[in-house]
Amino acid sequence: MQIRADRDDLAEAFSRANRAVGTKAALPILQGLLCRVSDGMLRVTGSDTEVTVRTSVEVQVMEEGSFIVPSRFMTDAVRRMPEGTVTLRSVDGEIELEGNGPRFTIRQLAIDDYPDLAEPDPAGAVKVDGELLLEAIAQVTVAASSDSARPILTGVLMENSDSGLRLVATDSYRLAVRDLADVKMNGSGLVPARGLRELGRTVASTVINVAIQEREAVFSSDRGSLSIRLIEGNFPNYRQLLPDRYPNEVVLGKEILLDAVGRASLVAEDHIPIRLNMGEAGVKITVQRRDLGGAVELVSGVYRGELDEVDIAFNARYLSEGVMATDGEQIRMEVVDSFKPSVIRASGRDDFLYLLMPVRV
Amino acid sequence: MVKADGCVAIHADGGAYKPLNWMNAPNTLVEEDDRWLITNPKGEELAIHIEESISDMEFEMGVDPGLEKDGVEAHLQELLAAKPQVLEDGLELVRREYPTDIGPVDLLCRSPGGDTVAVEIKRMGEIDGVEQLTRYLERLSHDSRLHPLRGILAATAITQQAKVLAGARGIRCVEVDYDDLRGAPSNHLRLF
Repeated sequence: MQIRADRDDLAEAFSRANRAVGTKAALPILQGLLCRVSDGMLRVTGSDTEVTVRTSVEVQVMEEGSFIVPSRFMTDAVRRMPEGTVTLRSVDGEIELEGNGPRFTIRQLAIDDYPDLAEPDPAGAVKVDGELLLEAIAQVTVAASSDSARPILTGVLMENSDSGLRLVATDSYRLAVRDLADVKMNGSGLVPARGLRELGRTVASTVINVAIQEREAVFSSDRGSLSIRLIEGNFPNYRQLLPDRYPNEVVLGKEILLDAVGRASLVAEDHIPIRLNMGEAGVKITVQRRDLGGAVELVSGVYRGELDEVDIAFNARYLSEGVMATDGEQIRMEVVDSFKPSVIRASGRDDFLYLLMPVRV
Repeated sequence: MVKADGCVAIHADGGAYKPLNWMNAPNTLVEEDDRWLITNPKGEELAIHIEESISDMEFEMGVDPGLEKDGVEAHLQELLAAKPQVLEDGLELVRREYPTDIGPVDLLCRSPGGDTVAVEIKRMGEIDGVEQLTRYLERLSHDSRLHPLRGILAATAITQQAKVLAGARGIRCVEVDYDDLRGAPSNHLRLF
C-alpha cells in the first residue's frame, strides 16, 4: 500500500473516524482504525461496536491495500506533520508516514482480528437539513441521562409525530422534546445520546440522510456514515407526563434569566435548589446556603396566571441547561404549581419544550 | 489460557487472581507435543512445559461487554450528599469535600439539634477509615463555629474491629445499602 495525500485532508478523515474509537473498547483491535485503499480513495473505519464511523478521502494511490493502525497515534501523528503533502506506505508490518522532513513508523495491528462490521444499510433513508438536525440533537441531549444503570434513559427517542420527526430525551428529572416539521422517518428507535453527540464532529453536512433500521440508526452524508446501535427497551410514555394546561406563565428575556441563574448558581450546588417567586413584576430568584451566604435578584417579565404568585424551586443546573437549550430571545415558563412539572419554551414557538420537575423545599 | 486476542496466561488453581506468568498479545504461539513456545515481537520467549494434559477446551466468549465498577466511593459520596438524611434523620448537608489543613472531609453536615457532623465515606469501613475521621475531627475541633462536633463513618460494610474502635471514640458507624441508596427518596421530584 502506498498513497499520497494532503495532510489536512488525511488528518480530517482520521480525526472523524477516531471519534468512534473508545478508550475502553471491548476488543483491543478496536483501538485501531481500519484503512482500505482502492479506486483513488482511502476509506477509514473506526468503531467501538456501538458507534461506527466510516469516512473516506480522495488520495493519490500508488499501490492499493488494507491495514490497521493505532487510532490515536495515527491521528495525532498526521496532525503533527508539517503542512503539505504526506505519504503513507506499508513496509515490513509497519506504516511509514513521511512528508517535508519528519518520518513516523507506525506498527500495524493484525487486520484479521478486526470484527466483521455489517455495512450500513441506507434503505429508507430520509434527507434532513443538517443544521436543523444538529440543533435538535443539541437541544434534547442535555436531558439525556448518563447513568449506565438505566440505559433506556441514556438514549434519544426518534419517532414520527403528527408534525414530523420528533426527538425526545429524559433523565427522569427533565424531559426535552423537539419536533422537526415535514420530516417523516421510515421507523423509530432509541438512539444513544453519546453516539448522536458525535454526529457534528464526524459526518455532519448541509444534508444528512437518516435511516432508522431494526438494530441501528444510520446517518450518512458526503463525509461518510455514522452507525449507532439502538438501545433495546421501551422508552417511558412521555406524552402522559405533559400536563394538559398551565394556568400560570411568565415571559422573560433568555439572556437576562441565564445571567441571573448563573449568579445564583455561585451559591447553589446540585443539592441546594434556587427558589423562584413568580408574580406581577416577573421572577424573584433567591438562593441561600447555610455555610456560605445567599443571593437574591429580580428578573423583570410579564406574568399571567390564575394565582397571584407562584413559589417554585429548581435545580439550578437543570434550569439553566433548559433555558440555554431553548432557542429565541424570549422564553416562556409555564407553571401549574410548586410540585408539578413546569415547561420552558421559546416564546411564540412550539417546536421545542423542556419539561422540568421542581425540587421540594 | 489463551485469550481471543492471543494473550497467553498461566493460572494456578488457588490463591492469586493474577496469572503466575503471562505473555501479552501480539505474540506467536507454537504448539509442540509437550511444550508451548510463545514469542513476542521483541524476541522474548515464554516456554511452557506440559507434564500432563487433562482437558483442552475452547470456548467462543463473544464480544467483551467491558468491566463496569459500581458503588465506588465517589458515587457513594454523591448519593449521600443528595440524601444525608439516610445517615441520620434531619441531617442537612453543609458542604461536600469540606477542607481541613490535612485534607478534605467527605461531607460536613448539620443535625436538627445544631451539631456539626463530619462524615467519612468508604466502600469498606475499616480501622484506617476510623483513624482518618479521627484526624479530621481533631482538626475541625479547632474551629469553634463547628461546635458541638461529632463524626459518622459511612460504608457499605464496616468491620467489627472498626466498629469497636469507632464506638470507643464516639464515632457512629452507619452501613448503607448502595442499591437502596440509589432508589432512596430525594427532594428532587421525578417525572416517573
